[in-house]
Amino acid sequence: MKEVSHGLETFLQQVINGLSLGSVYALIAVGYSLVYSVLLFSNFAHGGFLVVGGYACYAALKVLGANIWVASAMSLVGAGIVAVVTERLAYKPIRERTNVTLYLLIASMGMSIVIENLFVIFVGGRFRALPPVIPTSPVSLFGLATTSAFDLLSLVASVVFLGALQIFLLRTKWGLAIRAAAYDLRTAGLMGVNVNLLVSIVFFVAGALAAVGGIFLSVRYTLYPQLGGITIKAFVAAVIGGLGSLPGAVVGSIILGLAEMLTAGFISSQLRDLVVFSLLVVTLLVKPSGLFGKNVSEKV
Amino acid sequence: MSGYTEGIIILLCINAIAGMGVSLLTGFAGVFSLGHAAYMALGAYTTAILTVQYSMHWLPAIVAGGIVAMIVAYFIGVPTLRLMGDYFAIASLGLGEAIRLILENWQSVTRGARGYPGIDPYTTLPVAVGAFLILLILMFNFINSRYGRACKACRDDYIAASLLGFNTANIRILALVLSAFYCGVAGALLGGFLSFIQPVMFDMMKSTELTAVVVFGGLGSMSGTLLGTLVITLVTELFRPISQYRMLIYGAVLVIIMVIRPEGILGNRELPSFFRRFLRRDS
Amino acid sequence: MRKSVLFLAMLCLCVVSGAWAEETIKVGYLAGITGDFAAYGQPEVNAVKLAAEEINAKGGVLGKKLEIVIYDYKSRPEDAVNAVRRLIDHDKVVAILGSASSGANIATAPLVNRAGIPQIGTLSTNPLVTVDEKGKVRPFMFRICFIDPYQGRLIGYFAAKELKKKKAAILYDVGSDYSQGLREYFTKSFTEYGGTIVADYGFRGGQDMDFRAQLTQIKATDAEILVLPNIGKDLALPIKQASELGMKDIIYVGGDGYGEFMVEIAGKALDGSYWMYHLARQDPAMKPFFDSYKAKYNDDCQEFAIAVLAYDSLYWLADSITRAGTAEPKAIRDALEATKELKLHHATLTMDPKTHNPLDKDAVVLTVQDGKSVFFKKIRPQ
Repeated sequence: MKEVSHGLETFLQQVINGLSLGSVYALIAVGYSLVYSVLLFSNFAHGGFLVVGGYACYAALKVLGANIWVASAMSLVGAGIVAVVTERLAYKPIRERTNVTLYLLIASMGMSIVIENLFVIFVGGRFRALPPVIPTSPVSLFGLATTSAFDLLSLVASVVFLGALQIFLLRTKWGLAIRAAAYDLRTAGLMGVNVNLLVSIVFFVAGALAAVGGIFLSVRYTLYPQLGGITIKAFVAAVIGGLGSLPGAVVGSIILGLAEMLTAGFISSQLRDLVVFSLLVVTLLVKPSGLFGKNVSEKV
Repeated sequence: MSGYTEGIIILLCINAIAGMGVSLLTGFAGVFSLGHAAYMALGAYTTAILTVQYSMHWLPAIVAGGIVAMIVAYFIGVPTLRLMGDYFAIASLGLGEAIRLILENWQSVTRGARGYPGIDPYTTLPVAVGAFLILLILMFNFINSRYGRACKACRDDYIAASLLGFNTANIRILALVLSAFYCGVAGALLGGFLSFIQPVMFDMMKSTELTAVVVFGGLGSMSGTLLGTLVITLVTELFRPISQYRMLIYGAVLVIIMVIRPEGILGNRELPSFFRRFLRRDS
Repeated sequence: MRKSVLFLAMLCLCVVSGAWAEETIKVGYLAGITGDFAAYGQPEVNAVKLAAEEINAKGGVLGKKLEIVIYDYKSRPEDAVNAVRRLIDHDKVVAILGSASSGANIATAPLVNRAGIPQIGTLSTNPLVTVDEKGKVRPFMFRICFIDPYQGRLIGYFAAKELKKKKAAILYDVGSDYSQGLREYFTKSFTEYGGTIVADYGFRGGQDMDFRAQLTQIKATDAEILVLPNIGKDLALPIKQASELGMKDIIYVGGDGYGEFMVEIAGKALDGSYWMYHLARQDPAMKPFFDSYKAKYNDDCQEFAIAVLAYDSLYWLADSITRAGTAEPKAIRDALEATKELKLHHATLTMDPKTHNPLDKDAVVLTVQDGKSVFFKKIRPQ
């Protein structure tokens, strides 16, 4: 009997671990999906925005001595601006000239390499951590499982930010424009939407969300120039949920977080990533548009 | 010739062989892959195991490496090539990483992450150049053949091509399998060049580099791919004295070429026709 | 026009450096400035430059100044091979220091053997770096650090005999040759000393940052110690996350991956952990190094193991060149091999000519108190 309750405890703990990991993925995946929904390309530089956000917060806290609220605000704005500048410099000329999204994809890979190495050169590769501005002390959940106070906070923050995004998209004029653009960017342009401004707003929002993810990641884990690499998982989550679908990105992230933790815990920790990528491939084979994606049919 | 120059030429040949493979798939059949380093890994490991464990001669072993990559590519291609555009790229990324993870975990055969040492240094300058030339001639024959034109038709308009009676699915699989063979051979040669291979050499970064070189040279131009390989390989070597900036420069070059000339250096033309056009414009 | 000016300038530079070559002794250095080991690249570069400056200020070696040619190898073996070829053929170095990575050094070993240029690995602990898979020594490869089997045995000995613990859990990096090696040798020696491995979990280094799944499973066992044969963030993060999961009583033990930057990440949770290390910061013999490093770079050198080994590698090489009496690579090789009781800053070095590994090098056990690493004791397992 004791054995059973022990097993249940471990299982519950793994589920909580999975939810906590999934909530971080969700913040990143939503940014990915947002950009994809409008421009139909996977922005690999998204991880770079996240790193910018993390370092901006670090600098504000350590160098300027700001408090966490000011530092977070600076980080969100900073990453948002970097995202907009990246779009203006690297993507705008390409999307205006051609509709081959492959070129945008390659440019975004280039940008992610550039951002990573700018930090390697000018900040250094050392692993850093934000000062403990957010508590990470253990919290016991009904005596069944343990989690860190930070996880509860990050879950709340994820919900708040994703909720705010949803309200922005559903209740504001620009939200409507973005949804229209996600349906068809060219037509939205013809209907009188300022496409360039719209794309900039999308990138600003995506960058700011990435910064939130960056701050969380650097508190939960650590901050270093290659931190952006973790976005590959968030990207997989976005695909599983359906690229371009925001609820899909959230659901995909939770599924992925749980799958990772349960595989590592109960099957084999070595197979964890193999399961992640198998999930990706199986999703693509069974339903390429993902769980919530819109079906794209070939246009004749 | 100094060992340094020799090393660069060998590496150029290896990169060019892999580049030609990816170029056929991406530039000619229009299928965009982010996982081709895995086929290099398959070729490298097959050849290493055959030569070291079973003391096979390196020449059949290299061919075997290419064939193993082909077989795996076939079984991957049949289900996944139904996916179009970005979705195939994403699937290939997942599969590429999965293959690498299997190599890392299958310790009894691959010796895992610690790498596979003691491979005979069979990739000498004549071997590399010879392999490159043979594969180059075969490739140009292929792209100018009926199948090569069918590939281009599929790329330009998939639906129109199928309406014209091309078996588009088979053509895409053919292109994938051939490109896997080229990458497999390139991987096998890399193993012989380094005498040592590790799964981490064949990660997503390498896959991206392969595709980037092809786009850089110009989609649909085989000579563009070769030129792209030459430029990228030489740039990384020339900038070695300012080594910490190399990756930064590499990333920036990718962005800049996409911004100012997204069709790549040569566009979709081959070198001779590019020059003719260039001269005509001048006069 | 501008291009040709640039070209001319570069040409002049080449000519000038060519002219200089006659008065200096050129030494190559392979540094992982970008890529996976980027966190460790800057300290090693800084340290080797510092050593060269100090040696040159004292008149150099054999009356000539040392000139260090530093190339990045992106932390990747295939790039290291080209860097080494360039060092040998283009820069005509007499010896190569670095890299810290075993994979890169195994790949460059056949090259330096063929060219007859000695190379010294700084932190490359895989036995295959200096001895090939048939057990024959690679004549031109050397190392200044101890090897994985020795380090693994140290952890096993320390856990079983000094800490007197019988049940260990391991959390290792499947994708790292270093981590795999340490795990293998630790397991072997710990079980020989009568211990049992109650949990053995892997993870993927690099992108993996969440170890709570494995830690949760480890928590459910009765493991007394948690062995972490990893480097960098993969050491700090499991400790941080274990403490968040409420694992208060488990003792963390690890190898030379430890770095002081970990305190910023794991904080108090790090207190009471033990690390098998090459040296201690408090070692009086190391004080001048840390002082001049701080003065020159305004940095505490938190990744000091790699920095000190790079620093002492150059001192070892300089001593060997002096003993050889000539800067001729083959003579340097012989002198390196014949090194006996050489007093370096962090240790006294004797080479084993059969393996080119340091002979009986003491390991230092560090422990962490109040976020600072302190010397615990010197050990040498029987």
